[in-house]
Amino acid sequence: MNNEIPVQEGYSGEYDIIVIGAGIIGSMIARELSRFQIRGALIDKEPFPGFGVTKSGMAQIHSTDFCPPGTLKGKLCLDAPAKFKRLAGLLDVTYREVDELWLALESSQIANIEAAKERGEGHGATGYEIIGAERIRELEPHVTEKAVSALYIRGLGVIHPTEWSFALTENAAQNGIETYFNTSVLNIQKAENRQYVIQTSRGAFKTKSIVNAAGLFADEIAWMVQDHHIRLTLRKGSVAILDKSVSHLVRHMIFGTFSETHSQNVAPTAHGNLILGIHYTKTDNKGDTSVDREGIEKIMKLARELVPALSKRDIITSFAGIMAGNTMTGNGDFYIAPSEHAPDLIHVIAGAPGLTAAPGIAELVVKMLSDAGIELEEKKAFQEKRKGWPLFSAALLDKQKEMIASNPKFGHIVCRCEQVTEGEVTEAIHRGAGTLDAVKHVTRAGMGRCQGGFCGSIVLGLLSRGLGIPPQEVTKKGGRSFIAEGAMGE
Amino acid sequence: MKKDDLDLAIIGSGPSGLAAAVKARQKGIKNLVVFERDERPGGILPQCIHSGFGLEKFKEELTGPEYANRYIKMAQDLGIDIQLDSTVLELGKDRSIKVVSENKGIRTYNCKTLVLAMGCRERARGSLDIPGTRPAGIFTAGQAQRLINIEGLMPGKEAVILGSGDIGMIMARRLTLEGAQVKAVLEILPYTSGLIRNEVQCLHDFNIPLLLEHTVAEIHGEYRVEGVTVIRVDQRRNPIPGSERFISCDTLLLSVGLIPENELTKMAGLAIDLSSGGPYVDELMETRTPGLFACGNVLHVSDMVDNVSLEGELAAEGAFLRINDKGYVSGGIIDLKADSGISQVVPQRCTRERDVWLNLRVRDPMGKMKIHVGDIMKTTFASARPGEMIRVKIPKKALQELGPADTTLKLRCEEV
Ligand SMILES: Cc1cc2nc3c(=O)[nH]c(=O)nc-3n(C[C@H](O)[C@H](O)[C@H](O)COP(=O)(O)OP(=O)(O)OC[C@H]3O[C@@H](n4cnc5c(N)ncnc54)[C@H](O)[C@@H]3O)c2cc1C
Repeated sequence: MNNEIPVQEGYSGEYDIIVIGAGIIGSMIARELSRFQIRGALIDKEPFPGFGVTKSGMAQIHSTDFCPPGTLKGKLCLDAPAKFKRLAGLLDVTYREVDELWLALESSQIANIEAAKERGEGHGATGYEIIGAERIRELEPHVTEKAVSALYIRGLGVIHPTEWSFALTENAAQNGIETYFNTSVLNIQKAENRQYVIQTSRGAFKTKSIVNAAGLFADEIAWMVQDHHIRLTLRKGSVAILDKSVSHLVRHMIFGTFSETHSQNVAPTAHGNLILGIHYTKTDNKGDTSVDREGIEKIMKLARELVPALSKRDIITSFAGIMAGNTMTGNGDFYIAPSEHAPDLIHVIAGAPGLTAAPGIAELVVKMLSDAGIELEEKKAFQEKRKGWPLFSAALLDKQKEMIASNPKFGHIVCRCEQVTEGEVTEAIHRGAGTLDAVKHVTRAGMGRCQGGFCGSIVLGLLSRGLGIPPQEVTKKGGRSFIAEGAMGE
Repeated sequence: MKKDDLDLAIIGSGPSGLAAAVKARQKGIKNLVVFERDERPGGILPQCIHSGFGLEKFKEELTGPEYANRYIKMAQDLGIDIQLDSTVLELGKDRSIKVVSENKGIRTYNCKTLVLAMGCRERARGSLDIPGTRPAGIFTAGQAQRLINIEGLMPGKEAVILGSGDIGMIMARRLTLEGAQVKAVLEILPYTSGLIRNEVQCLHDFNIPLLLEHTVAEIHGEYRVEGVTVIRVDQRRNPIPGSERFISCDTLLLSVGLIPENELTKMAGLAIDLSSGGPYVDELMETRTPGLFACGNVLHVSDMVDNVSLEGELAAEGAFLRINDKGYVSGGIIDLKADSGISQVVPQRCTRERDVWLNLRVRDPMGKMKIHVGDIMKTTFASARPGEMIRVKIPKKALQELGPADTTLKLRCEEV
């Protein structure tokens, strides 16, 4: 996964398509492109896929009830749960089905959920139901007694977005897409023969076409090709994660009210914690993912309005992500369009729910590239399946025994909170998880209640061994984020 | 009824688990196994290479590893089966356990009695809501201790320590001795939360600045910690705006509390006492499930390893009585309740069968004070702090003199 490209005078080859950004959207696009007979590459500045906005969302696969009428996002989100469910089988990743309950906490709010129903159905979604207080209680006994009515949507889901981004890039790579991590795009020039030269921190790439899926940095990429009309608007969304011991309190993704400063939401995560959100604040700093005390108080207050039994005591961690809007569409819609100067450079500017829309976006981008004259001929040998590795904690007893028989390291618990084994961690490292954070995201070692207090140094040792570097060179998240500042006595 | 595979299973080989094992074997319990998830026995002790252990138990000042080694040797001499690298994944309400390890795979045992001795974990950053970035260089004190003492790695060169728990203060000294600069130890309370002994020997003796009524307002640095903003707090622990100050550092250590690790306990259906953090027990450390005992830091966080070992021995006595179906209780149970000035009591109830050792903590620091055990006895102490456990013995005789209707003893304290 960490293909070293030679830093060189000339080019590392000529590509048909290069995707910039390996978030959920870029990874989905790369995997979709890998069906075709092209030479393609996926480039990201982070050491691992999904480490931009993708890693810090609520991770929910929605229906179309949040999408205003006539929007592109409404079109792209339609049938998203079914698409994710199918992909989960192919890619061997977690997709947890969760139903939505959008609550009206007083009768004046009933109009909101009725409007949401109309909105969602307007895009073609089906299976919506408005239910009363009694039914709400049956479905979700711990919800506030104030709930008078709810929009009930079945068959949605939650995922772990970094796990998915990783699986998608692996599958793309299996099908010939080259992946380059730790590789920042610095500049883009137009060369002869309608080609582009992408200058990166690790050498130059020559390509016929480009997909700009750089998320929060898509504006900066656009400016490199003189598309100065691309402007993002940013706000920070803060969320909190609770200890698994209270997970029984909530089974649905529960929504309440929405405003400039919040989306009131409590839901299960793919791995069985509860997530609370979202408190918004203004920011103009793309790296601002800090959460302050006031933010936590706000999140907790919002959550307790929906489920009073939740408590601040159960928070194991909190984090924030930057949500990108844009000034080009006005109504909060996505902006997915070719450059003003050339049809073979596509900008993908998707805010929320960009995760949900990712499969739809990938299909759209492929069509746009084909319309731009890029030859896309299907490969016969496309391998649509990717194999993950077994999760010890989720396996049944017989399967656990089988795992240990095949590799005794599956019997060594490294992370006690999430019951992650050495076998899983070693496999993840072998397949490209080269930092503490990457290992944490794909194996969950360190994601539990003690937040790596116990397993951190064990994973550090496994990384050092797996990567063949001294432990003091192991990082938390690439760059100079060294865990230790040297060996003793240095 | 399923036949029991083990008379006694002990989960954890820290000082409480090992003491329970040694005592149990000395009492004649043969069919016993200690399960330890780590690759070495001793629990947290092997990384505590400072001295101060064993003053009561062995009448000499030992280091953590030395203290552990005494017990490990005793256990070995007695031929006790300590299964290492063995994590107990599940504990059933029926006292069955599921264990996994690399070399033995998965196995399950039905146990006649069990001693829970899993210890505790450190409170992490996530549960503290410290604002700021998420760089490398933030460690719990125990993590840093492990890094230095076991892995031979330096966590950083310039550190700020948040919290004045014992491990935090010990690490302040350790880092200083290793050539790092400890720029400050911050404590949100007006007094340190660990032992006075550690405050003097680890901070004052090394001229490490101790900032009481201070906390971290923000963490800075993108890849590695570059500094912290510290802030003063008022009497109600609210930050005082305008008192912020930046301290540059590459490391932030957290020593802000320990949490008993009771995930298995909860799995077995036992309720947790929110003031102690552990299950409710009687004077022989038996939980509300007969045959299931708990001791050491899983029960309540102790500041003296000697007490922890004693608790393990008591649990072994209890297990012995249960295994041999000896009359365990008679004469009515007495509830032991924290009253004014007292924040926690372990055990939370007792029988009238034997002397009872109470472990208490006061809510606030005090000068000379008296502890009242109901109306039956009182003891005077020169001083008391929340960070120090107070031990009071109620003699069996006093308990037996109580009337049958006396089913509660309230523990309270007053300054004198
Ligand atoms: C708090 C919050 C909650 C959310 N909840 C949901 C939800 O429940 N459901 C939902 O559908 N959506 C949700 N979203 C939105 C969703 O997370 C995003 O729309 C989605 O993740 C965007 O994916 P992306 O691939 O475009 O962006 P990113 O994940 O940011 O990917 C962009 C990638 O480009 C790389 N990159 C940038 N610049 C360069 C460069 N110069 N060179 C090389 N690489 C570069 C970055 O490193 C990054 O990996 C939420 C968002 C937030 C903030």
